[in-house]
Amino acid sequence: MKQTAGYFFPIILLSVLVYAGCGGSSSTQVIKIGCVAPLTGDQAQLGIDTCRGVKLAVDQANQKGEIFPGYHLEVLSLDDQHNPAQAVNVAKRFVADLDTLGVIGHFNSSCSKPASAIYHQARMVQITATSTNPELSRQGFDTFFRVAATDDVQGPRGAHYALRHLKANRIFIIDDKTTYGKGLADEFEKEARAQGMEILGHEGITQGDKDFSSLLTKIKPLNPDLIYFGGIFPEGALLLRQARGLNISATFMGGDGLANPLLVELATSPIAEGTYATMVGGDMHAVPTAAPFIRDYEAQYGPIGQWSAYGYDAANILIQAVRRAGTKDRQTVLRALRESRPFQGVTGEVVFDPKGDNQNQFIGVFQVQNGKIVYIGPAE
Amino acid sequence: MLSALDIFLQQLVNGLTIGMIYALIALGYTLVYGIVQLINFAHGEIFMVGAYLGLLACLTLKGLFLGSGGAVLLLILVFFFAMSGTALLALLIERFAYRPLRNAPRLAPLITAIGVSFLLQNAVMLFFGPSDKSFPGLIPVTKVQLGVVSVTNLQILIAVVSVLLMVILHFYVKNTKTGKAMRALADDRQAASLVGIHVNRVVAMAFLLGSALAGAGGVMFGMYYNTINFHDGYLAGLKAFTAAVLGGIGNIPGAMVGGVLMGVLESLGAGYISSEWKNVFAFFILIVILLFRPSGILGERVVKKV
Repeated sequence: MKQTAGYFFPIILLSVLVYAGCGGSSSTQVIKIGCVAPLTGDQAQLGIDTCRGVKLAVDQANQKGEIFPGYHLEVLSLDDQHNPAQAVNVAKRFVADLDTLGVIGHFNSSCSKPASAIYHQARMVQITATSTNPELSRQGFDTFFRVAATDDVQGPRGAHYALRHLKANRIFIIDDKTTYGKGLADEFEKEARAQGMEILGHEGITQGDKDFSSLLTKIKPLNPDLIYFGGIFPEGALLLRQARGLNISATFMGGDGLANPLLVELATSPIAEGTYATMVGGDMHAVPTAAPFIRDYEAQYGPIGQWSAYGYDAANILIQAVRRAGTKDRQTVLRALRESRPFQGVTGEVVFDPKGDNQNQFIGVFQVQNGKIVYIGPAE
Repeated sequence: MLSALDIFLQQLVNGLTIGMIYALIALGYTLVYGIVQLINFAHGEIFMVGAYLGLLACLTLKGLFLGSGGAVLLLILVFFFAMSGTALLALLIERFAYRPLRNAPRLAPLITAIGVSFLLQNAVMLFFGPSDKSFPGLIPVTKVQLGVVSVTNLQILIAVVSVLLMVILHFYVKNTKTGKAMRALADDRQAASLVGIHVNRVVAMAFLLGSALAGAGGVMFGMYYNTINFHDGYLAGLKAFTAAVLGGIGNIPGAMVGGVLMGVLESLGAGYISSEWKNVFAFFILIVILLFRPSGILGERVVKKV
């Protein structure tokens, strides 16, 4: 049902637009900024957090007046259900909507990847706030930008941290076979091997599966110092619980997919204690320049989410580009964004390199302490 | 240090636990199929609803039973609430979605079942929200050391409750009047109605029993994994359906054997070959067995009409 509607909707929308164009309405015209992420399903909260950041940026821009004479901004949020096939449908819908000048998204690397080809073809800017897979920027698409640091930085820094600070030498690696999870785990493994750490094994699990006890029973006699998980918190929480249930005491570590308060809720407090997660960024509350953003966001939506600030920064970068472009034209917006200028965001300075990646790649380490995910320092 | 045998036994325990839950769900598929030849694809969702009803019961009742003596009573109440809830839900579904199509071509109720499955999934998503829910620990989990294999009291509980329910079902179908009527219907529906068996009532009873078992399975699934999601019914249902086919669909002991076998094979496959291929392994076994025994391990119980 939903997918059929996905094809028909742009057609209806287009015909409405044609009429609206003929009408020559007196009020200001609309420029849309897309936000796409999983808004339903088990990762919905992550997506909603990101799109709220985008919404806040757009609302603030509108409060300052027209973006350029005759135009105001709107957010169009769509749900890709962290499903690559759905992501392609959504991307086509954005492309077909002529009011949309750029998209913030997708959330997941596995969705950003197929969708990026569609945006590239349509010459439409795509800024992902959150997809961390390094392959995304190696496709040669000049329409692709990202704010988040990449896994080829995050994985290796995690490996360094595990070796230097956690004194971990014997590692077992698990990933969830997604573009993000496997990519991150592979980068971790590469660096860990280069550092002379012993990799006892590397196995995949299936997203949405519940029972990992067979795999963990196999890991138990290997007696690793550390289990590294490339994946997201729902599976992470189950892995943790089941590992501790089997008396596996190895340190548990993962990437930004684990750095979520829900990990603690699902794994429950004593079991989640001590788990490490690297994160593409530090503690927002510790950054003085982020204070106004946090105040405004929390006044509207309650506590900031893991990715809210990234969505906010990505949206502000796009808004600035639209303003500089000064015309409702995708190509011009793209050109404006390509003239790379440093942007002072709440997550730090954002400067795009020629591939569209953020040159400022800061990785922080977080740990679950007393049921909270606490920032403990940069990963080195 | 763990020996190879210890690891094997531990894997066996892992597999048996989830196998028991598969078996409970598989019974629902098999009961209904045996009588009305309908593959009730909404059955996995009924299992999932059972887990959510259990969660609901926990959250509302937990405050009342804080003492240690209350834990058993709470457990019984949670099971009762989930099982009667899913039984009632199945009666409604049977009455309004399947009964009107009783004499329609077989494809019609099958597609209706898929529709009901979507309906239940989305209803739960809207009501409880899309993210994983944490299932409260109803009993404090303690480890029992059987030799070197560590078994939790929860795993023992799952095994005991499952076996108990299966034994009750077995005797119910074998010895009671309704049970006999069920078997008569499975043999020949027309002849059964000619000798005065209330077809609608007996069919409803099959749905009710199967769904109550799935409800109990749902609660134990929630207790065992501690997180539940509205998607959970899909894969568990698919595997239980496979288990029912594996044992011989329509055959009650077959469903039990199939479920346990499914859990154990899956666990051994994930443990010894690769966890990446866990689901593939389960379905691969199904294909191999069906190639050599098309009617399942214990054989279909449906009488072929000549």
